Amino acid sequence: MVHNALSKQSAVGIDTTAIRIRESVIERRARFRGLAEPLSLLMALAVLIVVFSLLNERFLTTSNFQNVLTQSAIPLIVAVGATLVILLGSIDLSVEGVMGATGMTWILLSANSRGGVDLGPWAWVIALGVALVLGVASGLIFTALKVPSFIVTLGMWYVGLGIATMLYGTDLLPRLEDEGLKGWTSRISFGLPNSFWVALLVIGLGILVLRSTRIGRVTLAIGNSETIVRSAGLPAFRVKVAVFAIAALLSGLGGILATVQLDIGSPTVGSGVLFIVIPAVVIGGTHLGGGKGGILRTVLGVFLLTILNNGLILSGVESSYQSAVTGAILVAAIVFAAWSQRDRLRVAK
Amino acid sequence: MSDVTTPPAVLRLDAVSKSFGSNRAVRGVSLSIQPGQVIGLIGENGAGKSTLLKILSGNYRHDEGTIAVNGREVQFRGPADALRAGIGVVHQEQSLFTNLTIAENIEVNTPIGRGGVNRLGLYNWRRLYADAAQALDLIGSHLNPKTRVSDLSFVDRQMVEIARAIRVSAASHTTPLVILDEPTAILERTETAILEREISKLRDIGSVIFVSHRLDEVMRICDRVVVMRDGELIADRSVDDVTEEELFRLMVGRETHAAVRNRRSIEPATKPVISIQDLTRAGSYTDVSIDAYPGRVLAILGTSGSGREAVARAIFGAEGFDSGSVSIAGYSGRPSIKKAVALGVGYVPAERKTEGMVGEMPADQNITLTHPGSAAIGPFELPRRRLSLARLWFEKLDIRPREPEHMLQDFSGGNQQKVVLAKWLNSSDLKALVLDHPLRGLDPGAAETVNAQIRSVCDDGTAIILIPDTIDEALDIADDIVVMRDGRISGVFDLGHDNPATLDLLERML
Repeated sequence: MVHNALSKQSAVGIDTTAIRIRESVIERRARFRGLAEPLSLLMALAVLIVVFSLLNERFLTTSNFQNVLTQSAIPLIVAVGATLVILLGSIDLSVEGVMGATGMTWILLSANSRGGVDLGPWAWVIALGVALVLGVASGLIFTALKVPSFIVTLGMWYVGLGIATMLYGTDLLPRLEDEGLKGWTSRISFGLPNSFWVALLVIGLGILVLRSTRIGRVTLAIGNSETIVRSAGLPAFRVKVAVFAIAALLSGLGGILATVQLDIGSPTVGSGVLFIVIPAVVIGGTHLGGGKGGILRTVLGVFLLTILNNGLILSGVESSYQSAVTGAILVAAIVFAAWSQRDRLRVAK
Repeated sequence: MSDVTTPPAVLRLDAVSKSFGSNRAVRGVSLSIQPGQVIGLIGENGAGKSTLLKILSGNYRHDEGTIAVNGREVQFRGPADALRAGIGVVHQEQSLFTNLTIAENIEVNTPIGRGGVNRLGLYNWRRLYADAAQALDLIGSHLNPKTRVSDLSFVDRQMVEIARAIRVSAASHTTPLVILDEPTAILERTETAILEREISKLRDIGSVIFVSHRLDEVMRICDRVVVMRDGELIADRSVDDVTEEELFRLMVGRETHAAVRNRRSIEPATKPVISIQDLTRAGSYTDVSIDAYPGRVLAILGTSGSGREAVARAIFGAEGFDSGSVSIAGYSGRPSIKKAVALGVGYVPAERKTEGMVGEMPADQNITLTHPGSAAIGPFELPRRRLSLARLWFEKLDIRPREPEHMLQDFSGGNQQKVVLAKWLNSSDLKALVLDHPLRGLDPGAAETVNAQIRSVCDDGTAIILIPDTIDEALDIADDIVVMRDGRISGVFDLGHDNPATLDLLERML
């Protein structure tokens, strides 16, 4: 019998050394990849720094360094949440709206030039509560009603802006009164700007959540395959809503800090943040399809974009060219980042 | 097993039924499995095996009958319940998170899904890795639990799935029952042998239900074989008193074995339809030259690293190559899929779901997708003509159910494959057909139909290039056999005058 001959042959023919070799190759390849990807980002960052410091001697100074850190703090905080959402395979476009609504709520409940009430720390709680409500709403509509996150959060962006505009009304600009808070974000403590310390805390917590908690691990699992998550009996629904809530809370925190930085309440306090945050996540190497990526990579992405902006200004690139240059570099970076992920038939959607 | 009293059955089904609308997918199935037994479950596509497995894994709820695990009656409300009861299922489609580590994949399902989580709700990675290593050790695998699943080969992934299934049972302090749903369907021969060895080890730990289409495998691995047909369990035999032929008959309900192919050598004067010369792609294959002649089936044999799939894809223009040439019907310009199709080449890919079909489109539209044939007048396709054309193909290839207006994704795997085949056969001028694992995941009945159709188009003068799953498949249907090893051709046989034994072929593959 053909079958019998074959089975005997293969039973004898299994060479376990071949299997061992394969296992060690697998390990080596994985270790190499773990190093290689962030390395290319770091190199790009180094190249930018070298080029800009050659173009302008003011670039490589302590004060400019602190300036860059202050500029990157708010995008970093928001980007931690955005990374989690993108790891799910979803997207959160409501960032700027949530920032506006939260920032406006906060300043109107704190000591400001319009008078009114000063709730002190309660202003923070209530403002972040607004952010939480917006985030949970996005999450529930997305998860329970199965509307694509792209659409839900696009709508929520404008809902947030609307809330901020309604609160703003037609009165005078609400200006921050508390002298201790004015300029707090860019003030230096222990060598770094205050807002950057907040960003570091958020990044640390974000990494902990993603690496070592159920929410984080299930987030990665959902990004890989929600079908498998469901059939494994894992809490897909809860985790998805939770991630949108976390993202909105962080946007809200960013909104409050941005209001402090700006010194006045404005519905459009978050304007421009989305265009740093989403590209930073993608340039960092987090897949838009979900499941792969991480927070530290996003941090590198944010730095890359902030330094690029800062360097362009210092190098005297006219502000009218700046957005075009940033945009072009962005597209190039994304093409570069996505090159290795094309599928066999080179299909892109 | 030294107990005086016999232990309760690991799993006992009593008259379990499940209907979808008017379709009774599973009808009154009763079955009992003792600890340490390996049961083979066989049946054609659509016989109700998958539905039965989904009931056992908690994905479906049965309508009637009772299920008892370790002597206790259970009601599964979801997959989590089945896991807790100690039933681990290794699904046909891989169900691992490829972006996570082996350890997490193994532990993620442990009861209540709390594997390795400490009181603060944080992961204890060290414990997670240690537990996973232990689970892998139980089945004799030495994979590093920190490895990411995407870096693993298919057979290693199956091992991880098995380790997970066992881990789940062990954590709930029950004798594990592992259900393997066609674990070998997409493995190469050597990999299958490794897996078989591991399955036989499972016998010492718990019980196994082994679902497979390969009867020889079932006969080798299992103690008992149960056969399903039309939703019913029609036979329950010990492997000692049943033969492969008998199982085939029970499963399909008819005698089938194609007549032995009447083979001839290549006629000296015929020109090849497809001729590739010194084709090379760095890291994949080197100096490959193959000629495919009209009216002949050419099978390319090789293991997973042989590069044979890449050669097949290069012929169809789906992948590039570095040097050499591909000439199709005399044309040897720059190859592309578009050009290949225009020249009358068809390609049935191994990745049927992603490359071979449009699941969210009705079956009839899939058939006329590339070559509208008689369904179109000029650029316009007429729905009624398309439907009647599709009905012809459904009849000819025995595609079931006979409802070409249904979405293709709702058909079973074997029937989807027949539709993919029909898409190319619908061409009026099919010169060559490249088949990449055409029988993958097909039951013996469907495989017979597909093979018969391949033979008939071949006899009409089409050249066939086949990447078969097994050596037997090649010996069964091919006229020429090319063997590849590590990207180079290691043997060429014209079955018209050569008569290679399986061992000869295997030797050239490894």
